[in-house]
Amino acid sequence: MMSNDEKIRAAIAEQAGEWFVANEEGPLDAQDAAALAQWLKTSPVHIEEFLAVSTIARDLKQARADSEYSLEAILARARAAEDTSVQRLWPRVIEAVSGGTSGRWLPAAVAMAACAVLSLGLLFTWNVRQPIEHPPAPDGITALHLETRHGEQLTRRLADNSVLHLNTDSAVTIRYGKTERLVMLTSGQADFEVAHEPHRAFRVIAGSAEVVDLGTNFDVRLEHDSTVVTVVEGRVAVGPSSSSQNHSPRFVELSADQEIRVTAGEGPATPVAVDAQRTTAWLHRQIAFNHEPLERVAAEYNRYTSKPIEITTPALRNLQISGVFSTDDPAAFIAFLRSLKGVRVEVTETRIRVW
Amino acid sequence: MAIAERNPSLVGRLFAEHRAALQAFFLRRIRTKADAADLAQEVYVRMLRISDQAAIRNPVHYLYTVANNLVKEHAVLDRRQASGVDIDEAPAHAELETLPAFDGDLDTTQRVTRLGVVLKQLRPKCRAAVELRFTHELSYRAIATHLGVSPQMAKKYVAQGLGHCRRRMAALG
Repeated sequence: MMSNDEKIRAAIAEQAGEWFVANEEGPLDAQDAAALAQWLKTSPVHIEEFLAVSTIARDLKQARADSEYSLEAILARARAAEDTSVQRLWPRVIEAVSGGTSGRWLPAAVAMAACAVLSLGLLFTWNVRQPIEHPPAPDGITALHLETRHGEQLTRRLADNSVLHLNTDSAVTIRYGKTERLVMLTSGQADFEVAHEPHRAFRVIAGSAEVVDLGTNFDVRLEHDSTVVTVVEGRVAVGPSSSSQNHSPRFVELSADQEIRVTAGEGPATPVAVDAQRTTAWLHRQIAFNHEPLERVAAEYNRYTSKPIEITTPALRNLQISGVFSTDDPAAFIAFLRSLKGVRVEVTETRIRVW
Repeated sequence: MAIAERNPSLVGRLFAEHRAALQAFFLRRIRTKADAADLAQEVYVRMLRISDQAAIRNPVHYLYTVANNLVKEHAVLDRRQASGVDIDEAPAHAELETLPAFDGDLDTTQRVTRLGVVLKQLRPKCRAAVELRFTHELSYRAIATHLGVSPQMAKKYVAQGLGHCRRRMAALG
């Protein structure tokens, strides 16, 4: 089995391959060029992998003269392989979470799901714990409970083909019934890519907020006394969850790149415009900031690390910083902190002291 | 360098303020040790200069140019300050030709031999896609036709194949 570090390197190498392929086809448009620049700036590892992939592509051009690489030889090998039972090597879909019919979670299914997720170029969890599947309740609804530990993330394709991404320190319980699909987010943060079903609503209850999907991809994050909902694509309706609602619920509709905060006892605030890609950077094991105070950046970084950042000089808490960092590459983040004027960084066994 | 000055964002400003110290730091390092990770680290520090994304029309060209400059600086043990990056001269593929490989001191023939070994570990269509793309420079459309897949899938195979070859080559040391 690959180590976590090697899995991360492998996924970055594949992303490097994707960028190399995209770039090779001609000039990138401005948006892609900016995205690539951003990707390269994420960490030195990204740069190393991109340069290495580039030189491999270059070196392969030298192999053309070799008869092993004649067009006929290459195509003959590809055809020969097709005749054998090559299908089994290709995990085509992420194994679906049972909605009551298919049943058991086998280690092989988890491994296949892991392969499929990696091949999609997304970085998700290792050390996945077995989901807990409750026996069917009297109403025939099966509940599925998923949770992640500190620093862990996981992705599941659910029985209806919706995809759930769970961030660090998070827990959800999913109950699919005949008339609705209900997800309870009890801690942390989750992202939902919902398969729209006109006759079966998709509802998320998260702390003080309730989110009703209207065909979309959205992110829900539980904070201390409020819930933040960010829409990546499509539309959702957000209102107070029944537990915190006193009067008739007030629902607010949100569209892409809008975010709303629902505070317990106060209901939904006014939606604000955001860059949803930033909110969902965690899906790529990245954290992204644009002119945000160091204190908030450190809190976000600490969600993923076993060696937290501690700011011991109060004046530094409000220092505004910008950047995109991989949560798997503390060294690059520390190097960045060290490059800030007036900031000193000390790394000990248990923490990263910033002063 | 003009890039930071044209785009006075925070990262650019910070970099401008610390440029001398950073350059001294990486010149010192690169003289004593210049493996791939070190090179990448130094390139990364220079890439932090890209403060405004719009400043870089061609990030790959910029990357190759920066990496080549660093290699040249290392080769001649240039004591002068690192020169600026002019990305308007040669095209990216010309810069790529002079980039060192990332597999130690192997020459091209040895690298190609090793690539032959790691290519065999790819899934068959993935391997064929990579070979057709780089040894024959076929278009993705042509590769897709040969392999009976969509052009999107052909691209996916090549991207995965490149990533896989890279990690296998790194593992061979």
